[in-house]
Amino acid sequence: MSAAIDADAEDLEPTLESIINQKTLRWIFVGGKGGVGKTTTSCSLAIQLARVRKSVLLISTDPAHNLSDAFAQKFGKEARLIDGFTNLSAMEIDPNGSIQDLLKEGGEGAEELMAQTGGMGSMMQDLAFSIPGVDEAMSFAEVLKQVKSLSYETIIFDTAPTGHTLRFLQFPTVMEKALAKISQLSTQFGPMLNSVIGARGGLPGGQNLDEIIAKMESLRETIAEVNTQFKNADMTTFVCVCIPEFLSLYETERMIQELSSYQIDTHAIVVNQLLFPKKSNDCEQCNARRKMQKKYLEQIEELYDEFNVVKMPLLVEEVRGKEKLESFSEMLVKPYEPPE
Amino acid sequence: MPSLLLVVFVLQVVIHLVNTVGAPVINEFLWMLWNKLPYSSTSSDVRLQTKRRRELVGLKQELSATSAQDQFAKWARLDRQYSRMQAEYDTKANDLKDNRASFDRIASFLRWGGTNGLRFFLQFWFAKRPMFWIPRGWAPWYVEWILAFARAPRGSVSIQMWFVACATVVQLVGQAVAAGVVLVGERQQGMGQRREKVAMGAGQGGRDRGKGDEKKEL
Repeated sequence: MSAAIDADAEDLEPTLESIINQKTLRWIFVGGKGGVGKTTTSCSLAIQLARVRKSVLLISTDPAHNLSDAFAQKFGKEARLIDGFTNLSAMEIDPNGSIQDLLKEGGEGAEELMAQTGGMGSMMQDLAFSIPGVDEAMSFAEVLKQVKSLSYETIIFDTAPTGHTLRFLQFPTVMEKALAKISQLSTQFGPMLNSVIGARGGLPGGQNLDEIIAKMESLRETIAEVNTQFKNADMTTFVCVCIPEFLSLYETERMIQELSSYQIDTHAIVVNQLLFPKKSNDCEQCNARRKMQKKYLEQIEELYDEFNVVKMPLLVEEVRGKEKLESFSEMLVKPYEPPE
Repeated sequence: MPSLLLVVFVLQVVIHLVNTVGAPVINEFLWMLWNKLPYSSTSSDVRLQTKRRRELVGLKQELSATSAQDQFAKWARLDRQYSRMQAEYDTKANDLKDNRASFDRIASFLRWGGTNGLRFFLQFWFAKRPMFWIPRGWAPWYVEWILAFARAPRGSVSIQMWFVACATVVQLVGQAVAAGVVLVGERQQGMGQRREKVAMGAGQGGRDRGKGDEKKEL
């Protein structure tokens, strides 16, 4: 069995070492279908990265937060060091956090902005909600701003299952469009609004519309900057996690196509939950399953010949806690040797 | 310069033809002709698009013939190719649609200018010109007045009235021709069916005879 896999040795190593050694990388996304082991992979990758980088931040954007589970430690919206590490922190953000949520807890920019628009707030909200995905984008933008101010060398995103991820990555575009629309509206109706507001005695806090627009513009600039960083293959990469089954493979292919349409680099696939039954076993189910997995594994290697394809075994126990994650993470850099 | 009477008549015939055939059909025909021209701006695009469509259909067939479960790599490659080509095809189709729209606009404008526009122009320009005179006292004064409507001299037929007369005649003849065509068509169909039956009978007979000959030769 192992001979068959080793025989498939290709030009690219079947490990994530290239990512770990690529010092310029700032953003690493880990994504895939639900239940394929994204969180385990991202935690393992974070542990491996923490050994060679000054500081690493692991962010979960999955609404079903699993980081707390994986490390058996509670994480919140603020970055917190993981027990037993000195340079590895984690935080959990909710991508579905609505704008109101953002107003309460988000960065000062948006909070101020909305608080000071007063009566304009509801209009702004209407405007914001009329653009699909913009609330998520806003909260994400805030997080990015926060993250940018903290000086982490590398940031790993443990993303939500496929659909969410892609929406997230699309957000700079969505946001730019939305803000362009708002600025256009404000240039058209700005004078009128200003006179109305002026008659009411001005906005609370003595602000005017132009200042708000200026703030939005600055937000847009942040987004544009992040956007260019995401599209830079030296700074950003996407690690696809899948299991050798048809649907997972199908989703992975779709995701890779969409990523390339967003011009986001991806060159690593982690194939998880591989079965390596011993040769001398007579578990029919295991052998049949192994056969099916081998079929898809061969297809993966044929199709993604320019990718680092990492093969991870299915363990007999849950990968939870620091020690287990550490031993699991070794397999990301040293190919797993299946027992004979 | 051909006689104005004739010009008006021919114009009315053209208008009638255009109305019966219908503007979309004419535009479609002109568009086809335009794309057949070797040097027109869109002909190469249209040809390419037809080729692309054929390729797309071929790819789709290949894609559905490939099992995604058993040959995922091949299937995914085909799918990538297909979606790339589909996107290309869609953008080109949109471009062509824009071209087509502007072509239609120009064609419609020209067609209108050549038919109704020309008619309005003639009616305006020759409003005072008598088409021909009718014998004095041939019709009562009010009929003369109507015939000379609106600005032709009394006792003559105005271009307006000549247009109306031509239109009426063209329409009547048009209906007659249409009815005639239908009638002849039906009759020919009937005769055709009968002739077919005869021919089939003859064919069978001939074949039988042929067999007989062969047998004899053997």
